[in-house]
Amino acid sequence: MSANEAKGLSILKNKSDPEEGKGDIILEGKGICKGFPGVWEHLILDHIDIDVKAGEIHTLLGENGAGKTVIANCLSGFYLLSEGQIYVKGKPVTLKSPRDGIRHGIGMVHQELALVKPFTVAENIALGLPSSDLTFPLPEVEAKVRELSEKYRLYIDPLARVEDLSAGEQQRAEIIKVLYHNPKILILDEPTSLISADAEHLFHALNSMAEMGYGILFITHKIEEALEVGDRVTVLRLGKSMGTRETAQTDKTELVKLMFGEHTPVHLERKPVESNKISLEVKDLEALAPDNEPALQGVSFTIKEGEIVGFAGISGNGQSELAEVITGLRKVTKGQVIIHGKDYTNQSPKAIIGAGVSHIPEKRREMGVIEPMTVAENVVLKDIRVSPFSRGPFLNMSYITGHTKEIVSRFGALVSDLWKSQTRILSGGNIQRLILGRETWRMPKCLVAVYPTQGLDAKAVNHSWELFMRLREAGSSILLVSEDLDEIMALSDRIAVMSRGKIVGMFDGSGAKWEEIGLMIATGAGRT
Amino acid sequence: MNLGYLWGIFVGSLYAMVPITLTGTGEVIGESSGLFNIGLEGIILLGAMTGALGAEAGGPIVGLLIGAGTGLAIGLIFGLVCTYFRGVQLIAGVGINLFAAGLVTFWLIHLGVPGHHAVPEASRMVAISTPLGDFSPMIIVAFVLPVLACILLFRTKLGLKIRAVGENPQAADVAGINIHLLRCLSTAAGASLAGLAGAYISIDWIGSVTKEISAGRGFIALATVVFSGLNPLLVLLGGFIFGFFDNLAVWVSTMPAVQRVIPWQFVSMAPYIVTLLVVAGVIGRVRFPAAMGIPYERE
Repeated sequence: MSANEAKGLSILKNKSDPEEGKGDIILEGKGICKGFPGVWEHLILDHIDIDVKAGEIHTLLGENGAGKTVIANCLSGFYLLSEGQIYVKGKPVTLKSPRDGIRHGIGMVHQELALVKPFTVAENIALGLPSSDLTFPLPEVEAKVRELSEKYRLYIDPLARVEDLSAGEQQRAEIIKVLYHNPKILILDEPTSLISADAEHLFHALNSMAEMGYGILFITHKIEEALEVGDRVTVLRLGKSMGTRETAQTDKTELVKLMFGEHTPVHLERKPVESNKISLEVKDLEALAPDNEPALQGVSFTIKEGEIVGFAGISGNGQSELAEVITGLRKVTKGQVIIHGKDYTNQSPKAIIGAGVSHIPEKRREMGVIEPMTVAENVVLKDIRVSPFSRGPFLNMSYITGHTKEIVSRFGALVSDLWKSQTRILSGGNIQRLILGRETWRMPKCLVAVYPTQGLDAKAVNHSWELFMRLREAGSSILLVSEDLDEIMALSDRIAVMSRGKIVGMFDGSGAKWEEIGLMIATGAGRT
Repeated sequence: MNLGYLWGIFVGSLYAMVPITLTGTGEVIGESSGLFNIGLEGIILLGAMTGALGAEAGGPIVGLLIGAGTGLAIGLIFGLVCTYFRGVQLIAGVGINLFAAGLVTFWLIHLGVPGHHAVPEASRMVAISTPLGDFSPMIIVAFVLPVLACILLFRTKLGLKIRAVGENPQAADVAGINIHLLRCLSTAAGASLAGLAGAYISIDWIGSVTKEISAGRGFIALATVVFSGLNPLLVLLGGFIFGFFDNLAVWVSTMPAVQRVIPWQFVSMAPYIVTLLVVAGVIGRVRFPAAMGIPYERE
């Protein structure tokens, strides 16, 4: 070890001697706000207070999109705060970069692991060391990795290439990498999302670290984990803190209420489903996720004409893949997609659009619009093949202008110029209004809507809900995927809960109990 | 064919190898960090001009240093544009090429000898005499630099950092590395070697400046970088392959038997085509930094 490095490490060590002051608050955030102007219309974090004590595991619980990762990124220096103040051991600090975080003893294990794949474990760790650039500290790093592996029982081969490691091993490598800097606070962002089978092992390691005096902030969306691992739990909903509880003095029911809200959602009034004709049917569907892991495992359901079926669940449980399979964007490995009695399994998106299926896609900026193109171009993207939008090879500009104007005004999108503004400069909410307009003006026979109101304000949400109800009355079948339980309960005639690629529960929309569904979503357990 | 001819071609190949190898080695460093500089051709041209001016003012060593300094300056501007100012790398690179072509042409006309500027013998690099013949010391430099670049990239922490920002800038950011700065410095260091290559052409190898003096060598260097899969030692080999066919072509095109059948212009195409074929034959098996060409933004 070079003299410089030894000095650097010893300074860190003195600062973070884990035995001192167990139970003291070592990391605190007060009034933390974070917004992403232009991308989101509301604050992602709205005046959050959170603290972590030495020797405890503090769990941060919330749905996807609640802002958990953003808090972690703010506390570790990856994001700058819009407002608020961070304190380390009671002293105010400003974190401008992850390096600042490390210097103050804050180590973060990212959900998307921050490892350079073609490098070995030791090389990845060497990257972040303070030693001189012309040294090559690999031998020392390898020795210390072996030592840390042993101490925390996070076994890893320092010479293994990261891309050859399993997800669990990669995560261990990431944790060792963070521990190498001798932090006093460890932030783990959804560490169990990659290693659900191997979680126990991780929990043991975390518990022994807490006993050694580390302060640990553990982020998860799973209620059981919060109850099992944490000493305290803070629940986050839509960027707001719903309060902090001692784990011993709370239970599943209370946490579900905090996570999803306490009021009873409305179930919009409607006539019963009249038609008996099946609009969309899928049978025993299986498909792979982008990482080639099974994403759908034997999903079967039908949606009648004039029926809305809501798919609830934490995202990443197969909902995206389901929507992609039905709209032709993903191949099925088994099973059938039948639209109005005709088999459309593994057909092209064009054929499926032709069958009358509209799609409000999940990633509006990537899948919904072509960002550098203008508003008018994006609004008619799916219509330009036919008259009157085009005549032969030429676009009918005046007709397109009129059509776009109508959609923009009907959906209240804020757009400066139809033919000049690039779509990229619009906020997410305005882009979503344009997509809603494009996908519904034809009154499609079938609509696949994935997170259709995410990022919209209350007025626009109501407007969209009314629109869906009108489509329903006109006989459209709607497959609604949402993480917003209020939305699911308001709109759906039937509610399906998805977990790990399966439908684990199917409820009737009018009589559904909010607590029951919420618990099923949070635990992923089906009715037995 | 006698041995003298073969030896001549071999020595000629070494001379022709130098600019490709220098430029390519530099570009390997730049591309490892994630920046792709298509402006190397222009930097060689500028280096040839400033190198000649420097050599005439202060001797060949000064000329080489000024050529390299020119490359460094242009590389720094390119790096700043492509990182801090989030410019498009391709456009910035093309900009360098257009700027260089314009400036050098203007300078040549301004000198009063349109199209050609010969560097006086006194300002040119002196060859080292050996029992086997005279060689430019730059040939030694061209053999040493790729080895040094290899050590830098694969045997130092700095190299680890350079490759990390090219491969996964987000992970590098988390590790506390200043991505923009490191990318800037890497591409500037790389560009300085292209400038050096230009100065070598004008004050050592060819001994003159014309507006076509770079003759596509910047692009061929880019091709050898692709062929090498960012391995400086393979860049050395690629440079030699090009140099060999370059000289072979010159020799073949002077044979009366050939001249009668094939116009010399077609024969001079051969080294370029062979190099491209080699690259095309190898590409697909090489692996490039995952984030190459992609600007990095944190939020």
